[in-house]
Amino acid sequence: MSRQWMPLDNAALIFPAIRRSTWVNTFRMAVTMPDDIDPVLLQRAVNDLRPRFPSIYVRLGAGLFWYFLEAVREPPKVRPDYAYPLTHMGGGELRVCCFRVLYYKRRMAVEFFHSLTDGTGGMIFIKTLAARYVDLRYGVRVPPEKGVLDIGKPPLPSELEDSFQRCSGEFAMSRAEENAWRLRGTPEPAGFLHQITGLADTDDLVRAAHAHNATVTAFVCAVMAQAIIGMQADEVPLKRQKPVKITIPVNLRNLFGGDTLRNFALVINPGVDPRLGSYTLDELCREFTHQMAVEITPQKMAARVAANVKPQNKAAMRLAPLFLKNMAMRMIYTFVGESKGCLNISNLGRVELPEAMQPFIKRFEFIIGVQYSYPNNCSIASCGEVTCISMIRNIEEPELERRFFSSLVELGVPIEIESNLKREA
Amino acid sequence: MYCVKCGVKLQDGAESCPLCGTPVWRPCENESARECYPSLYPERPHNERIPAVAFITVVLCAVCLSCLIACLRTYGSAAWSAYVMMGIAVFYVIFFLPQWFRRYHPMIFVPVSFAAVCLFLLFICLNTGGKWFWSFALPCVALLGVITTGTIAIYRYVRKKRLLITGFLLIAIGGCSMLLELFQHLTFGSVMFTWSLYPVAAFGIFGLFLILADMIPPLRSHLEKKFFL
Repeated sequence: MSRQWMPLDNAALIFPAIRRSTWVNTFRMAVTMPDDIDPVLLQRAVNDLRPRFPSIYVRLGAGLFWYFLEAVREPPKVRPDYAYPLTHMGGGELRVCCFRVLYYKRRMAVEFFHSLTDGTGGMIFIKTLAARYVDLRYGVRVPPEKGVLDIGKPPLPSELEDSFQRCSGEFAMSRAEENAWRLRGTPEPAGFLHQITGLADTDDLVRAAHAHNATVTAFVCAVMAQAIIGMQADEVPLKRQKPVKITIPVNLRNLFGGDTLRNFALVINPGVDPRLGSYTLDELCREFTHQMAVEITPQKMAARVAANVKPQNKAAMRLAPLFLKNMAMRMIYTFVGESKGCLNISNLGRVELPEAMQPFIKRFEFIIGVQYSYPNNCSIASCGEVTCISMIRNIEEPELERRFFSSLVELGVPIEIESNLKREA
Repeated sequence: MYCVKCGVKLQDGAESCPLCGTPVWRPCENESARECYPSLYPERPHNERIPAVAFITVVLCAVCLSCLIACLRTYGSAAWSAYVMMGIAVFYVIFFLPQWFRRYHPMIFVPVSFAAVCLFLLFICLNTGGKWFWSFALPCVALLGVITTGTIAIYRYVRKKRLLITGFLLIAIGGCSMLLELFQHLTFGSVMFTWSLYPVAAFGIFGLFLILADMIPPLRSHLEKKFFL
């Protein structure tokens, strides 16, 4: 019997094309429970979720013209976590299953290949997985609400749709914009990733952001931009400096509705040009708040989506063999995609949990992997009173993290730091 | 515990601040660090191209063997099949030998490729009784090899002044065409400096333009603006 398959959604097309032998675009969701994770029960929970998430339990296949996602033969086996998050997901692994479930002490984590879903889809998956685990482990039935899905029901067609096709505008916006300054450092050998998590009290962070008349995302972007501006000023003379821009993924569900569990996010690159003069933190907050408000409108985002969707639907593009498409996409991504921002800041926002589940979730973490050509990335998730600001890097120097977290402390946001230790492999 | 330099709160038992590296003074010596991650490292990703390259290697070996057998049965000697086999070997060294390795090392594989081409030309020269290898083919291929390897090395390891470097490289490439014509003259007795003047002029003018562009910031920024992707 042939297995169910589906084409990749519009945003997902790029990720298999740009993957390298040592790098692939992945992200991680993790929850911390009160007790050590029982791998047998976790495996049962993973098995039980399969019928409800047919777009997640897939493997990557290659056709003559396009990649496709095909239902896996069997759910992935849960396995112990590694010394660092988001270890390389090679082509062999992607051809078997495009996500992995890991556990370490009290933490369970799911790492997704980005072609499957975005942060919102990943969050719904891990919430449902944690709810099922809580049911199996503690006998507490979690009602299907606040992002936890009912695993007894079949998936809705709208959860499996490629929503980009629905919201694409008539007019395609040009991708041309000035390149941003690129952070550099001494590369870590053998793919090791440093993770530094800053734990902040959510109220403190919101209070500090509101004191600067900004949202949390704009405030964090402004503090990060200030740190990067300082680094650039130390390394590059003023006349040769470049704009400092932050790549921010925007959840299009908030603009166009829909409940797809596949990718439905697009990035914008707000930023400032240090050559124009120095910026205070208030000015940076204002810049980011205003630029985000200007860019994140249904009309502009539809035009940005159209710039991606229109080429995909062209006959010449459809007929081109996969290897040619891969070459073209890789080139465009290298020159256009990754050069427009200094790093990503992906804010998942406040993670709401069903009341019955709240005593069992001590922490919710969201980590995005580094990009191919820039070494740092940052992701944020708030759950209850704790906000996790996870910074990941593939270089030795923690200079950006030091400047960023020190600034937050100076601004009245106490930060507790956790990091993974690098040991001899 | 707090870092005295950054002001951030640290994990219990941390020995130093992960941000600035400042050592932490711990009042309780027996406090052990709480580890966020285990010490399990993943296996290094293996080269995914190996099965495909192995298959291609077998196919090319089969082609070589078929040619050899066909040639032996027809002529009783390797004759033309030797050229085919050597050609396939050169093709293999250039395109498929690097695929066995996880990373492409141009500083190794580019000179090796030129060496393979040299050997192929030497084989043809010896087989046809020619006298053009030592005075023409070898210097030409060696020159091209040095220029290519040098260009790759410069672009790989030098990140600054690329416009200036490209300018000088283009002038050097133009100059090399004169050297090639000199080798041609010494070997075949052709007239000196006829065709080589065209690449010298073309590469020279373009190279000088790039050097000028590097030295005049307004021109450089104008070009960057016009040609940025």
